[in-house]
Amino acid sequence: MFARLKKKLAEEAATAPRSGVRIPRTISKESITSVGADSGDDFASDGSSSRDDLPTLLLRRNDQIRKLEAKLSDYAEQLRIMQKTKDKLEIALEKHQDSAIKKLQEQSESHQAGRAKMAEGMTLALEKKDQDWMEKMEILEKEKTELSAQLQDMMEQSLTLFKKRDDLDELEGFQQQELAKVKHMLLRKEEQLNQQERQLHKKEAEVQSAKRGLSEARGKLQTLEQQHDESCRLNSELEIEREELLLLREEADRKISELEGKCQELQSVVQQVSEDFQKSQSMVSTLENSLRDLQTEHDSLKLQQQKAAVTKEEKERLLVDLQKKVTSLERRLQGNLSQDEHLQELLQEKSILEQSVAETRAELLTVRTNHADTVSSLEAQVSRMSCSITELQTLLRHKDDSSRAYRERTDTQVCNLEQQVLECSERLKSAEQHITDKQQHMDQLRAVWSAEKAFLDQQVCLLQQQSEEKVARLEQSIVSLEKDKQTLRDRLADVERQSDDVNATLTQRMEELEQCRLELNSRQTLSTEIAKALEESRRQKEELQKQVGEQATSLQSSQQELSTVTEKLALAEENITALQNEVQSGQASQVQLQEQDERLRAQLKQMELDRDSELSSLKTELLSQTEQLDRCQARVLYLEVEVETLTEQLHSPAVCEDDHNGSVTVDDLDHIHKVNRELEQQLNDKNRTIKQLQQRLAELKRTLQKELKLKSEPEAEVKEKLTESRAEKQERFCPELSPVSTLSPPTSNTTVTNTSDLNDSREINFEYLKHVVLKFMSSREAEAFQLIRAVSVLLNFSREEEDMLKQTLEYKMSWFGSKPSPKGTIRPSVSGTSTQWR
Amino acid sequence: MGALFSIFSGLFGTREMRILILGLDGAGKTTILYRLQVGEVVTTIPTIGFNVETVAYKNLKFQVWDLGGQTSIRPYWRCYYSNTDAVIYVVDSSDRDRMGISKSELVAMLEEEELKKAILVVFANKQDMDQAMTPTEVANALGLPALKDRKWQIFKTSATKGTGLDEAMEWLVDSLKSRQ
Repeated sequence: MFARLKKKLAEEAATAPRSGVRIPRTISKESITSVGADSGDDFASDGSSSRDDLPTLLLRRNDQIRKLEAKLSDYAEQLRIMQKTKDKLEIALEKHQDSAIKKLQEQSESHQAGRAKMAEGMTLALEKKDQDWMEKMEILEKEKTELSAQLQDMMEQSLTLFKKRDDLDELEGFQQQELAKVKHMLLRKEEQLNQQERQLHKKEAEVQSAKRGLSEARGKLQTLEQQHDESCRLNSELEIEREELLLLREEADRKISELEGKCQELQSVVQQVSEDFQKSQSMVSTLENSLRDLQTEHDSLKLQQQKAAVTKEEKERLLVDLQKKVTSLERRLQGNLSQDEHLQELLQEKSILEQSVAETRAELLTVRTNHADTVSSLEAQVSRMSCSITELQTLLRHKDDSSRAYRERTDTQVCNLEQQVLECSERLKSAEQHITDKQQHMDQLRAVWSAEKAFLDQQVCLLQQQSEEKVARLEQSIVSLEKDKQTLRDRLADVERQSDDVNATLTQRMEELEQCRLELNSRQTLSTEIAKALEESRRQKEELQKQVGEQATSLQSSQQELSTVTEKLALAEENITALQNEVQSGQASQVQLQEQDERLRAQLKQMELDRDSELSSLKTELLSQTEQLDRCQARVLYLEVEVETLTEQLHSPAVCEDDHNGSVTVDDLDHIHKVNRELEQQLNDKNRTIKQLQQRLAELKRTLQKELKLKSEPEAEVKEKLTESRAEKQERFCPELSPVSTLSPPTSNTTVTNTSDLNDSREINFEYLKHVVLKFMSSREAEAFQLIRAVSVLLNFSREEEDMLKQTLEYKMSWFGSKPSPKGTIRPSVSGTSTQWR
Repeated sequence: MGALFSIFSGLFGTREMRILILGLDGAGKTTILYRLQVGEVVTTIPTIGFNVETVAYKNLKFQVWDLGGQTSIRPYWRCYYSNTDAVIYVVDSSDRDRMGISKSELVAMLEEEELKKAILVVFANKQDMDQAMTPTEVANALGLPALKDRKWQIFKTSATKGTGLDEAMEWLVDSLKSRQ
């Protein structure tokens, strides 16, 4: 600080007197140069003017000279003024210098005093600091020793870890041995299992034999069933017999019914007889009725007689009356003495009346006689009737007798028939008894059969039980075997678990080892850092002895740096491990991709082979086709020639031989025309096929060119011409051979969209490519790293190129590591050989 | 600088989660991306290529990649699959016709080995449309219930209205945190 001040002062002192002189000098210089420049300019301008203008020029010069002189005088005055001021300034400077020197002396004195004090303080502080530093150094050295000790410990630990690893290897060996043993045991168990299975098979055979016994028993059963069938048959026979007997019974019944019919007939006869009897009885009754009628008639006649008697009495009474009248009239006559006529008349009347009385009496007598006649006739009739009744009664008696006799006869007949019926029923009973006997026999047989069957069933049951028991025993054995197996498996699982555990411990140990290593590395780096820091601190110490204050701050900063550096180191180590992992994963993916690449290459090869074979076949076909074409053309030519000759012939004979055989030539002409037409058709067909083939050829060419263009490899360009020249010979194109599969992205086998789309879209999506590349270039590394894949797919980078990109980006992103060399992955654009694909 | 940044980001334990937004063209992927990033609806043009943005959500940083969904550039999705933590699959709920295509693309994507551990979030987007399918319909149409060994969830969203995105991101953050 003071030194600088002093220096400054000295400089000021040195420059102060000079500056005073310098200022005017510079001014003058400027003025002169400016004037000179002016004049020069003028002169240059004047040089071009003519001599006539000289007087005017001279005048101007004079004016200028005058002006300059005036200026010069001004300057002189200024100079004078300046010198005056300079003197004043010199005086002032001297005064100032004196005062300054005085002040300086005072200041220097005070400064020296302060300096001495400061130096003392400084030395003291320095010593203190030195001591502190020494202490710190000692501490650091101690730390260093401790760290070295730790390092040794770590080395030992690592050694022990190696040992442990060896132990672990041994353990693994033992485990493997154990595993082998267990496997051996398992195998033995499996053998046992096999044996058991064999036993099982044997048991199964036994079961089968038991089953055979069962089947035999079943056979017996069947025989028994046959017997049963026989007995059944017997039964059926018996039933038939029974039916026969039943038929007999029916016949007997029929006979009975016939007899009953006869009986009924007889009864009907009896009924007829009885009917006759009833008729006769009815006749008797009718006769009796008629008798009764007659009697009633007789009674009625008697009544009529009585009536007639009554009427006779009445007539007699009338007669009496009339006699009275007559008497009365006679008296009147007597009273009237003169009336003789009247008397006569009356007498006449009297005679008439008497006559009538006589007549009525006669009538009455006739009636009486008639009545008597009728009575007599009726009585005769009655007698006759009674005679007939008696006759009928005798007849009835006869009839009764006959009927009785008949009844007796029928009774005897019925008795006979009943006897017959009884016999029949007895026979039936005997038959039924027979049947029941038979049924009993049958039942017995059935009982026997059922007993046998039961016995056999029992046997079967026994056999089944035996077999079931056997099966159960076998199943038990199987279960036990399975249990054994399970236990073995469990043991195996345990062993595997143990091995897993051991592996886990191994991995843990490995991790520990790794951690230890990491720690070791960190410690080492720390130690190196510390050493560096120590050196730095030593240097700083030396500097500190000069500039203690600065050193203290720098020390602090360096310590801070140290800590940050250590942190960074730790981070960097973590980063390194992560990157190593990434590298490993990348390597794995690389291996995968290489495999895929190899597969694809193999596919490519095959495809190329296929294509070559196809090409050759197509060539041969082409050759054959061209040959055919040639032949066809030759034939066409020949035919044309023929046609021409024929037409000539046609023309020539048409002229000369038209008269001789015109019909023949017309036929020939027709024939020839036909042939000609056919040939022309054939020609047309051939031409068409040729055209088709040419079209196909063109298509093939196009596809081939497309395919070859799509190959971004420079070799393709070389190949293209070759294949194009080849393609000209080709005729057919096989559509199933996809031409673009070689250029698909490396893992396009699994994509949804097919690869041809992808390639087509590549042309369309140039914009996409542009965008991706732009982003790739502009984005930060973390994003760009993700974009490597997309860029490499879009630009068809090879695996090496992609890896190279990745490595460079990693290099950019990380702090350490060397820049990866291109490793010849960037190919020169001309060197196109297929070896880079393979 | 990048290395420094990565180291410090590693120091503070906030690794950037890598999320892909996939889906057919016109499903609203870009709108969703910028809705998530700036919370505004931006006018978008069909994405030819991709958009990548860093989205912070609940102390988690996401590196969200929005890949263009046009048919010709869909095959390039697979180039971006590696190191992906989650996939947001956006479906246009109103586009019933292309649901089958969407399903086939989703299925193909999920079969990729590199995405075996990625969480799947399906956004049934454009729920503000009248003819939009419900999330369950969308899930059935995409065959999501048949998915095994995959943590997935479907949300009904509307990128233009901004509904449903927060719930979906919350779920995603929770599942990503729980997975770590």
